[in-house]
Amino acid sequence: MNPPDKLKLRTETQEGRCTVYISGELDLEAASQLRAVMEPLVELSDRILTLNLKELTYIDSTGIGILISVLKARHARSAPFTVEMVPPHIKKLFDMTGITPFLSQAGPSAAQAR
Amino acid sequence: MKPVEPTVVLRVPAEAEYVDLARLTLYGVASKMGFSYEDIEDMKVAVSEACNNAVLHAYGAAPGVMEIGFGVCPDGLRITVKDDGVSFDSAAENGVSSAPLAGKSIDEIEAGGLGLYLMQALMDEVEVMTRPGAGTEVVLTKRLAKSEEMA
Repeated sequence: MNPPDKLKLRTETQEGRCTVYISGELDLEAASQLRAVMEPLVELSDRILTLNLKELTYIDSTGIGILISVLKARHARSAPFTVEMVPPHIKKLFDMTGITPFLSQAGPSAAQAR
Repeated sequence: MKPVEPTVVLRVPAEAEYVDLARLTLYGVASKMGFSYEDIEDMKVAVSEACNNAVLHAYGAAPGVMEIGFGVCPDGLRITVKDDGVSFDSAAENGVSSAPLAGKSIDEIEAGGLGLYLMQALMDEVEVMTRPGAGTEVVLTKRLAKSEEMA
């Protein structure tokens, strides 16, 4: 089967900031696609890395697992990572799993201080 | 919720590209039953997590099949995800009862067990029956709230 892309990724790189816009469904099938895009981007320690989730319609533990990997990789580089425009149902899943404090604008050190 | 023969059964290869069919079928069945948008979104994640397990852990390198059954009951929906494979994600078997990542540092957080946690958090009941050499069956149950019932 060759369906249209379930997950669409668009990267915008500017001075000081790199934003990845994710649209569609982030499930097990789409996971490798996101990992492949994120791998070189987590190396960019000199700028803020942001995931824009406004058009994300589905996420499960697979996608949350990728966010955890990105968080760890950025933390290891002392480099910032944030998510923005999280849809309500996805925010609910983030809250349930306890990942939300790690994704806050203030960054991981604020989460650990809580 | 009493076990019933599933009303609707989907039988697909236990591969990642077919998990979205389980979500689509879930959407169809649950909408007909009058479940809320919120409950349907919750159940989509839960059924996908159960399917993800079959895809990742049941068969190793050899292809296999997973069967997703939707049992329409008077008081709710009983979803079964069955495979004939060799194992369940045993690392996740000792379930977690509260937010798995809460109170941990970045170095301590990990993705293992999140799938099972989400199934338990999003459904009213979860049963996992795994028998060595005879596959795994996950039963997910969601009760239909009174206000959603159609007379």
